[in-house]
Amino acid sequence: MPNPLKPEKSVVTTCAYCGVGCGFKAETRAGKIVRMTPWKEGKANHGHSCIKGRFAYDYYIAPDRVRTPLIRASIDDPWKPASWQEAFDYAASAFRRIQAKYGVKSVGAVSSSRCTNEEIFLVQKFARAVLGNNNIDNCARICHSPTQFGLTNTIGAGAASQHFDSILQADVIMVVGANPTEGHPVFGSLMKRRIRQGAKLIVIDPRKTETVESAHCKADVHLAIRPGTNVAILDSIAHVVVREKLYNEEFVRARCEVKEFENWKALVGSNKYAPEIIGPIAGVDSEDIRKAARIYASGPNSAIYYGLGVTEHSQGSTGVMCLGNLGLSCGMLGREGVGVNPLRGQGNVQGGSCLGSWPHVFSGYRFVTDYATRSSFEAEWGVTLDAEPGLRLPNMLDAAVAGSFKGMYIMGEDPVQSDPNQHHVITAMKNMECVVLHDLFLNETSKYAHIFFPGSSSLEKDGTFTNAERRVSRVRKVIEPLAGLQDWEITVKLMNAMGYNVAYNNPGEVLDEIARLSPNYRGISFALIDRVGSAQWPCNEDAPEGTEVLHIGKFPRANGLGAFMLTEYVPTAERTNDKYPLLLTTGRILSQYNVGTQTRRTPNSMWHPEDVLEINEQDAMARGLKSGDWVKLSSRFGQTELRAKISERVNPGVVYTTFHHAKSKANAVTSDLSDWATNCPEYKVTAVDVVRTNGRAAASVQEAERPRIEELEPVECA
Amino acid sequence: MWSELRGLKDEIDFGTPPRDGSPVTLDIDDVTVTVSAGSSVMLAAAKAGRAIPKLCASDMLEPFGSCRVCLVEIEGRGGFPASCTTPVVEGMKVKTQTETLQRLRKGVLELYLSDFPESEMVEGWSELHETLKAEGVASHPYGKGGANHFDAPVDASNPYFLFDPAKCIVCSRCVRACAEVQGTFAITIAGRSFESKVVASQDQPFFESECVSCGACVQACPSHALVEKSLFEGEYKHAEPAEA
Repeated sequence: MPNPLKPEKSVVTTCAYCGVGCGFKAETRAGKIVRMTPWKEGKANHGHSCIKGRFAYDYYIAPDRVRTPLIRASIDDPWKPASWQEAFDYAASAFRRIQAKYGVKSVGAVSSSRCTNEEIFLVQKFARAVLGNNNIDNCARICHSPTQFGLTNTIGAGAASQHFDSILQADVIMVVGANPTEGHPVFGSLMKRRIRQGAKLIVIDPRKTETVESAHCKADVHLAIRPGTNVAILDSIAHVVVREKLYNEEFVRARCEVKEFENWKALVGSNKYAPEIIGPIAGVDSEDIRKAARIYASGPNSAIYYGLGVTEHSQGSTGVMCLGNLGLSCGMLGREGVGVNPLRGQGNVQGGSCLGSWPHVFSGYRFVTDYATRSSFEAEWGVTLDAEPGLRLPNMLDAAVAGSFKGMYIMGEDPVQSDPNQHHVITAMKNMECVVLHDLFLNETSKYAHIFFPGSSSLEKDGTFTNAERRVSRVRKVIEPLAGLQDWEITVKLMNAMGYNVAYNNPGEVLDEIARLSPNYRGISFALIDRVGSAQWPCNEDAPEGTEVLHIGKFPRANGLGAFMLTEYVPTAERTNDKYPLLLTTGRILSQYNVGTQTRRTPNSMWHPEDVLEINEQDAMARGLKSGDWVKLSSRFGQTELRAKISERVNPGVVYTTFHHAKSKANAVTSDLSDWATNCPEYKVTAVDVVRTNGRAAASVQEAERPRIEELEPVECA
Repeated sequence: MWSELRGLKDEIDFGTPPRDGSPVTLDIDDVTVTVSAGSSVMLAAAKAGRAIPKLCASDMLEPFGSCRVCLVEIEGRGGFPASCTTPVVEGMKVKTQTETLQRLRKGVLELYLSDFPESEMVEGWSELHETLKAEGVASHPYGKGGANHFDAPVDASNPYFLFDPAKCIVCSRCVRACAEVQGTFAITIAGRSFESKVVASQDQPFFESECVSCGACVQACPSHALVEKSLFEGEYKHAEPAEA
């Protein structure tokens, strides 16, 4: 065998997969990417990588990548290739026509955490300054919106309190509703490193995940709760902290609102949250609840890491508040080795969250109703802005079903596959007169779109990502965009086509605009990142190179004090009964990423060719199932067919699947319940039943139902 | 503990991880250098601009001391200690480039070369190739008929990287990367002495083993025995996507 060919060029950039945001060197030879190697100076990954970022990059040259804009008058027509200008003009005239007919607020936009900070900022600018309303949302809605709400109300900032490396100072690591070794593998490796050094591990998760037990890493306590009992179990842990006086009174008196602390103590300290009461409800041993509370409270440094298993519930925001309360009560905030940290799923969910891609706030979570903030944006953008908060994504879809919402610009999202209650989403899509989809590939949503903008992958554009530890890193263009334009250029040109004149020479100028308008980003620029590698916000005069640990000395609230929120447990309305006796919960697997748009187009699918339904042996036996059998999974909302896998990872009464493959239609089954505060869908709890079938009805067509571009009939452009 | 990760420099391999500790000053080839206590002589030498040749060492991994290429002489000590496993001591005086050392290193490298396929020497650019070049070792005196591993089958089961035992020098960097960096412990060394070989799980193909394909072993390999398939033209291209 010959020696490998040496790459000719190397560009340092940031991985676009999960929220770890690893630094990579993209190496090219003859203009083609031949290797991605982890960047040793990347402060999030220190030269480590996972199967996705390291190897699964070939999706960018997948044969079905769309390389030209597509348009059509009706979703029943075939796609028609168009020039960029035709596509922009078509979209602009459609949006303007809809607004003239149905009102300014009949259209909106959705951005994605796959997008760069600059693109996310431009899409919300498009909604606010060009469409003239606040109908702008992003996919953090369906994952970490409760984080923003829950943490802001307790510790004052809806973001991770620590940097990743802080875990190396932790004595106790509590993982709640997350599976870092699969979902955030490089952080998972760092966590395991610390566990091997002797840190204790508490895991709260319905499933016996890879994090619970792997080589040289075993949880000291695993609370395998029934899905939907997060708040009960966290209140019960708090109960033990209160009753056994394990809290840090000195910290609470110095740093928190004491009256609220007393109120909280009275609530969680009441008998109804005693482990002996909650244990049977949550399906865990009451003594384990006590053990977890004692380990966490005794630290000395205890750090909480949590994921979508906390947020994607009808009490998602309450669950996040429980974690904030717990951190405050035990004084586990404001130094190295402690903290409350969301593990964000997508590369730029934090960016999506903090750059104003929300219907009610501008960047930095400042309300659109606030005159001073709005004025600063009006001065920069030269237009009058709407003071009324806009529609959230689920509300846009509801309004579309109702007939008052008619057009949408969707950048980098596939709501038909990823949002709950698929039938409802499809009805909404069909009701709209103009859906503009901006993506790399035709997807489930494109079936209902009128205009398709072929986007650029993160290897083809410049910008920045903000990872789960608030770290802003550079995305650098490695190769020229396949469809000719970088994503930020597409949004700018759409703005121009709609009559809003704005021009940027490069996305660094968009970042400068973000810095001018967003206090936390004030000091961040391409120049700074080029100099120091990456920087964590807040980055400003006081912290010119960024801030690693938040909440030292005070919390970013008006009075600087941490607040305790009352977290009464209210069981979800989604219940099991005779017809739907099992609880379905969902999760991720290492080799696939989210709805699989990228990873399914790479050999990563060799590891995970299909989603399977994990079921306990006891439940399988009762249904006459063996591993590999096709089963029908049905809920009150819909049904799908999957292959079963008998697994000890799930307890009796619980089934589990992943949602990486469109053909699995996992979200046809999930409920349309959502978080009381933020509308984040309750993906993690659905009452279901499982019965054996003869095989998936549509198994033979599978992916074939999605036409490849070269199979589309060429149509003359008008 | 932090500096082990945070002191890493992309263009420099200090050979062993940076340490947190009080300052220690020593002389490397008459260059005075100050490093943290707990650091290796190898790291101090790299900092002093007197980088010592090495094969089994990397600053992302704990020192191991198996390749015997990084030998040095230390004033007042007997023998030729491996600089990667020797901690710095205040006032230490280290020589990295004596004639004896060069002779010893050449001898060790010739032994490696004697079990490395000759055809693979052309246009190679791995750390092993670069080290041989830097130390002026282009041939060995052991003839061609000796025992070797040239015929060991290539494991190409993983779609992204392959393992060619013929090019493996059994330095254990992959084993240590899998354990220390990734934390999966999927790779080990099976057998003893000349029969020692890198195996995944219970001597299974990589794809069928516990390997999670993170790439840490490929990154760590100094001889391109573990190497990305994407770097080859022709035969070793990326496998076709499973659903294509």
